[in-house]
Amino acid sequence: MTDLVAVSRARGGDADAFRTLVERHSRAIFRVAYRMTGNEHDADDVVQETFLRAYRQIDRFEERANFGTWVHRIAINCSLDLLRSRGRHERHRVNDSEDSEMSREFESSDPRPDRLLLSAELQQHVVSALDRLSGNERTAFILRHFEGMPVEEIGRTLGIQVNAAKHTIFRAVRKLRESLEPFVRSTPCST
Amino acid sequence: MQHLTEEQLVSHYYGDDEPQNVSQHLAACGDCFAQYETIRRVLALVAEAAVPDRGDEYGTELWNRLRWKLGRDRRRKAGWISGLAAAAALALAFFAGHFWRARHEVAPIVATARPSATAQPPDGGNRVLLLVVGDHLDSTERVLLEVANADPGRQLDIERESRRAGELVAANRIYRQSATQNGNERIASVLADLEPVLIEISHAGATLSGTELAELQKRIEAKGLLFKVRVISAQTSNPKPRKDNDRESNRI
Repeated sequence: MTDLVAVSRARGGDADAFRTLVERHSRAIFRVAYRMTGNEHDADDVVQETFLRAYRQIDRFEERANFGTWVHRIAINCSLDLLRSRGRHERHRVNDSEDSEMSREFESSDPRPDRLLLSAELQQHVVSALDRLSGNERTAFILRHFEGMPVEEIGRTLGIQVNAAKHTIFRAVRKLRESLEPFVRSTPCST
Repeated sequence: MQHLTEEQLVSHYYGDDEPQNVSQHLAACGDCFAQYETIRRVLALVAEAAVPDRGDEYGTELWNRLRWKLGRDRRRKAGWISGLAAAAALALAFFAGHFWRARHEVAPIVATARPSATAQPPDGGNRVLLLVVGDHLDSTERVLLEVANADPGRQLDIERESRRAGELVAANRIYRQSATQNGNERIASVLADLEPVLIEISHAGATLSGTELAELQKRIEAKGLLFKVRVISAQTSNPKPRKDNDRESNRI
């Protein structure tokens, strides 16, 4: 059953058709929700809320659109609502001195960004670096970097001007660079 | 040579610039190329960050949590619609009754007319009420039959009946109040007996265990609900005006 057929049946009250959509898209929605919220529990809540909203608004879904893209968009809005309601960026500040300590520790361990599997510690460091971003910086960065959303659309999503969206992404990248550069510096430049 | 700014490098990475100019510069400038490489590696590092895996069963588990909420949503929505429909029907009943009385009370009534103390004329309002209650009881009977006829030795999938019962509860409440106001105690009493059972079925969710089912069947049987519903349903589908109550017979 294609997404379009499933949507059409779900509109007619066919619960099994909606179940098909949930089962097909929930893992992808979890990924975007996790990246946006940085927290498994919050991501699970966002996924659930996303499909509830999708169900309630399924009559608004336009048939020429892609269900996956549409439900992704709902997930992004749900994540933003959750982040705004919790003032997330305020509670994820990491102590700078502690951070420098971690950086020195990793600097000597010859980390290679090209590795497919990051060590658990390095992974944690990336998570911390993302957590240091403000709510808007994190969202703008995630939407650009992982979702490939154009800057104009990011601006609309966040309710800011295109230039402001662009600068928010720049700030996010600069902060990430400041946090993570020690781990990529030791690798010789090569193309 | 003027070096590229960090913003230009980031824009280049995401393909948001005029790639030719920047590419040419990067090919010629070692400093800028090193800067660009650092940004590229940092962003590649971030991209590598894993997302916890949710496994193949995630969708099914999520659905099991969702279905109950979605069912409740539908019941609430349908309950509103049923409630509104019932309210509209009763408003119609009220105005029909009002119009009926207005039309007949101005007509001369013979002095020999003997109004009975128990007179309950099936006026326009009551007739509309009987009509809508008849439909309501038919729907209720179907839900009760599903439960009453199920095998108590097995779990019963009751999702559809549960949803339907949720819709019927709101209407049942309005019809009961209206029947009480119209002095139709018999209908009001049957509707009052039905209400807790409908509520219980509406709260049952997707399935009823064998024990829960047996308990519910006992309640339906103990109150003789199916019998009462059928009797009232038959009367409401063919309301016979009692002669001594019929004002028409008192008119010239």
